[in-house]
Amino acid sequence: MEHTDTKHLFAGLGTAITFGALTLLVNTSALARPPYTKEELADQEKALLGVVDHGRDLWHGSNPSMSSNGLACGNCHPDAAASNPHTFPKYQADLGRVIPLREMINWCITTPQAGKALDVNSDDMIAMEAYAFYLYRGKQISPGLATEQTAPVVVKSGPGYPKQGSGVGYDK
Amino acid sequence: MDDLKSTSRRDFLTISARAGLTTLVASAMGINLGLVQVVTAATSRKVTPFRFAILTDAHLFSIEDHKFDVFLALAVDQVNDMKPRPDFVVYCGDIAQNGRDDQLQKGQKILSKLTMPVHYIPGEHDWYLDMGEAWRGRFGKPTWSFDHNGVHFIGMNSILVRDFWTAAGMSAKQRMDTMEMLESPICGPWGVREEQLEWLKNDVKTLGSETPVVVFTHSPLWDYYPRWNFQTEDAPQIREILGKFERFMSFHGHVHQTVYNKIGNMSSVGSLSTSWPWPYPDVKLAYPNMRMNRSDPALVEDGLGAQHIDLESNFQGTMHYDPFDDMLKPAIKDGFKV
Repeated sequence: MEHTDTKHLFAGLGTAITFGALTLLVNTSALARPPYTKEELADQEKALLGVVDHGRDLWHGSNPSMSSNGLACGNCHPDAAASNPHTFPKYQADLGRVIPLREMINWCITTPQAGKALDVNSDDMIAMEAYAFYLYRGKQISPGLATEQTAPVVVKSGPGYPKQGSGVGYDK
Repeated sequence: MDDLKSTSRRDFLTISARAGLTTLVASAMGINLGLVQVVTAATSRKVTPFRFAILTDAHLFSIEDHKFDVFLALAVDQVNDMKPRPDFVVYCGDIAQNGRDDQLQKGQKILSKLTMPVHYIPGEHDWYLDMGEAWRGRFGKPTWSFDHNGVHFIGMNSILVRDFWTAAGMSAKQRMDTMEMLESPICGPWGVREEQLEWLKNDVKTLGSETPVVVFTHSPLWDYYPRWNFQTEDAPQIREILGKFERFMSFHGHVHQTVYNKIGNMSSVGSLSTSWPWPYPDVKLAYPNMRMNRSDPALVEDGLGAQHIDLESNFQGTMHYDPFDDMLKPAIKDGFKV
């Protein structure tokens, strides 16, 4: 009797394990599905680079309202050099408080460039940030860091973006 | 008044930046002189000691009363006030921002206040709207040489690129716009090209190896950072042609920063601009102590200025950076030997 019960117990246990394994297999299979397909990821990257491209054009003077003296961001920050997006938020001495990158961008637009500030929630501002962050991709995030001199990811000679530049600085 | 006295020049100029252009006269309050000793092995030819100055990269816009007009005028005053007086000034390119003749004319007018002769070479911002026509009309040939006090001086046009505009059907304005972008992916590398290399060969053909030689170009004669055309593609050929000399000095514009290098018999020095400072690219420099401090964008004049060079009888040179504001590191201020 005892032997039979043990046999039934093992049989039941085996069924349970088999069921559990099958369940796990099904669940694992479901979990293993990538969050996005290759096609979806390609679409997302295309969308990102489109915004980065727009930021690059803005950075180089495509929006006249951002400057009244002809200067564009790219004059002082070629390849977004020394824009240091990875160090924001940080204290900005001229404003006397900690600010995010978008406020620093607007400070540059309104002060050295004597232009009109962008709406901080606008597509243009998102594009400006996207361009700066994209060129600093892989850099360690160091908020608050007072940098002496930083440069973006080294850009090899070559296209970078398959698009014609809009020119640094426009002239009224 | 006490408050004014206790305000540092740096703070004062920060205030000036906020207050606008009318306060730019504050820069007349004082000038910091930085000192860099470019001491190299002396040549055997005797030089009558003298001083010359370099101005570069004004990037003037057509807009009236632009702050860059003021900065160039300040640099002109700075040079005119130098004692001893420089024998001449070399302008190392980029008077204009967009290659327009009105911009060149404005620069010519401001630079005409210099009380000594001026020699000019072009930059890419001067050239690609009309392929240098207006520039040549105002400043003459872009390639030249002359002798002064025992030194042979050479100027060359180093911003010549291969034709990227004809096949693309670009207008003159599009060509200029494309060249204006420092990191343009289209323009390709600059160089002096075959005609000037031939000219250079002929120019130095009869000079003895002991002749002191100084060369001016817009871009550096070494491979600094090609992405931003901090280079001259045929610099190796230039250095080879000038390799027969015991040594030569190269001075250049374009980089808008202090930078020094030495390759073979060449010592190379970059110049401060009078428009905006450029960050240092992420490359290893042979002389990293020659870098200036990071510029503060709140100080409208920070990172800008003029420079002058004193040549001694044995062709030893002393490079002085003359910034508008206090932005030189001690290593540069106190000088160093190379």
